Amino acid sequence: MRIAISYPPIVNDRGQKAMVSQNRNVQYFIKPTYLLPVTYAQAATWLKDDGHDVLWDDGNAQEKTYEEWFADLISWRPDMVVFESTTPVMKFYWRVIDELKAALPSTIVVMSGYHSSRQPSETMEMSSTDVVLRSNHVDFVLPRLARDVKLLADWRDECAIEGLSIRSTSGIRNTGHFIQVEPLDRSPIVDRDLVDWERYAYENGNFLQTPGTYATSVIRDCTFGKCTFCRYNGPDLTFSQMSIERSLDEYERLINEYGVKEIFDDSGVWFRGQDARAFAHGIIERGLHKKGCYFGFNTRFEYLDEETIKLLAEANFRFVLLGFEAADDETLQRLNKGYQMEHVDQCLEWLTKYGLHPHLTIMVGYHWQTQEQLDQTVAEVKRLMFSGMARTLQVTICTPLDYTPYHQECIREGVLLADDYDDHDMSKVIVKTPIPHEAYYQAIREMYGISYHPKFILRQIRFLASGRKRDWQFLFTYGWRALRRVRQHVFNLTSASQEDHAPISKTSELESVKR
Amino acid sequence: MVSTRVGTERGSALVVNHSTLEVLGHRALTDNTYVLRTTRPDSPIEAGQCFSVGTRSLAINREYSMYSAEDDPFVDFLIRRVDGGAVSTALADLREGDPVEVGGPYGSFCLNGDDLLTRRFVFIATGTGIAPFASFVKTFPQLDYILIHGIRYDSEKYDQEVYEGDRYQPCVSRPSIGAGERVTDMLESMDLDPAALYYLCGNRNMITDTVHILRERGIPGGNVYMETFF
Repeated sequence: MRIAISYPPIVNDRGQKAMVSQNRNVQYFIKPTYLLPVTYAQAATWLKDDGHDVLWDDGNAQEKTYEEWFADLISWRPDMVVFESTTPVMKFYWRVIDELKAALPSTIVVMSGYHSSRQPSETMEMSSTDVVLRSNHVDFVLPRLARDVKLLADWRDECAIEGLSIRSTSGIRNTGHFIQVEPLDRSPIVDRDLVDWERYAYENGNFLQTPGTYATSVIRDCTFGKCTFCRYNGPDLTFSQMSIERSLDEYERLINEYGVKEIFDDSGVWFRGQDARAFAHGIIERGLHKKGCYFGFNTRFEYLDEETIKLLAEANFRFVLLGFEAADDETLQRLNKGYQMEHVDQCLEWLTKYGLHPHLTIMVGYHWQTQEQLDQTVAEVKRLMFSGMARTLQVTICTPLDYTPYHQECIREGVLLADDYDDHDMSKVIVKTPIPHEAYYQAIREMYGISYHPKFILRQIRFLASGRKRDWQFLFTYGWRALRRVRQHVFNLTSASQEDHAPISKTSELESVKR
Repeated sequence: MVSTRVGTERGSALVVNHSTLEVLGHRALTDNTYVLRTTRPDSPIEAGQCFSVGTRSLAINREYSMYSAEDDPFVDFLIRRVDGGAVSTALADLREGDPVEVGGPYGSFCLNGDDLLTRRFVFIATGTGIAPFASFVKTFPQLDYILIHGIRYDSEKYDQEVYEGDRYQPCVSRPSIGAGERVTDMLESMDLDPAALYYLCGNRNMITDTVHILRERGIPGGNVYMETFF
């Protein structure tokens, strides 16, 4: 079969391009970061290994216009096209699918992603989609589906793979619960050549050195899985883990065969404890820590002890992304973050002591967030950044991601202001709050402004005394890139805040997303 | 550990509280496994839920399921001391009266109130993954269940007297006498009731293999609940 895994270019009416961002939601940027969708890359690899002709069709990363992307896809004449979508671009995708089906009526269109997986009937109703995957294990499901399509004469009525909605001759057929636990070691390591990895290797704020790349994630979904705002929380999500040796093999290949200089594992939460130490030992035993490549991962406060952090530093780990979310315990508790503010400093001190670069991800605009709580967050972030305990940060507006507990809570408490999917693009606050929305935008600007502050710059200069190459790189290589990104974030929120006072659209206008 | 599938309709607290509790005692079960008993936090607790547990000096925590009944005036945790494991070792060193930091309870690996008297349960655990099932059984003595417990040694049949009759079925992989047996071996040889509810808790390999067996044997995915160690 000829199978395309496709990401159409999406540009909004401000000329910004859609990029997949935090929690695999979509955010718009003028100069986007192209993130490799790792699970889909594994799916593409698996399909190729099964003998299919696979087209890795990321129109965003390939910097095509919509028209170029569409024409190229049509001319390739796929038997099956797989899309991944999410809330703010659902309407766009429905329209694309109808256009695609009009041009290629016999092509099977498969829709996946967190939004449609939770509400498959909507996508079936709103578009001519043939199959909706209710599983986030697309790498496991797609090869099975392709096999059935190939082998079963009437696959729409006969396919018995769990977790699908299929447009059959007699209507929409649901095949029940999908398998929640899949052994991650059976999914292939990403074929870097197939997915044209270098397109994702340079424009990424997580990389201090390039080319960088995302590793095949060692953990599917999240080890913790209880944060109320997060996609990785729900009855259909679970946790599975790849073996340490297999991941080490991939790191070795990426460094030795592809010349990768920074590897980031974007697992919801990376290894901890024994597994983290075993991984670091493996890096050292293979000599990969001396190859000039940095490593990074996501973790949580109160997860890594000093001994483990020291070992990770010896193994040349650098970038550590931590969900900080807010600086008041009430918010942390309401979000089920599972850590306390009083232990934040200790974790950051250990990371900084051994030369790692902690990156904080902060959110604002929770429906309960008071001015006092917001000020506390801003003040705490400033303290951590000025003191050198954190090196970089990103701030986003907490947008209720559909079907998460936080989203359900917003509906239950009547605070959700938006019923148009387009408004879920993280560009503005879409919940009722105790203070004006502008206060949150101002807080974001203030936090991003930290990187321009003399105190912050002075602290980075003081880091140079450590003699670590990474600190010099941070100031002189990464600095200008970071500043450019900060300007983008500030621009986005400035534009959003100007629009925020207008009533939120109650109708769904497809034209609000330009192709 | 992480829980999957919402298994409760009895509601769980939205806000997770952090408390400093007091150690009430330790009880050694094997050379490396012990029960840590603490005072009870103020929050309502449901059998099957877990807590983040740590000490103030550590600044790290780990999640442990509750081992005691949900209405007990204390909370028990069943803990295996891990080689090089900072938290499990530090908790083992605590003495009566020492403070212990606890966040929670959270998680939804709980029993649905409607199922308690109407459904048959098959609980499948490895090692200390038996903790939530012990909590279920102590909280709901009327449950109709069997408990399959995968362990390495005979000594790891933790508090087996809690489980009446032949409901407790250990699978010992390295028994002192006779051939070893794994959880998956026992499942392969059992009649599996497709109407029963299957609750799994333990290491990820057991969970993966067990889910595969259950699916092969026609157990609907909606009847399977799991909590995986990590």
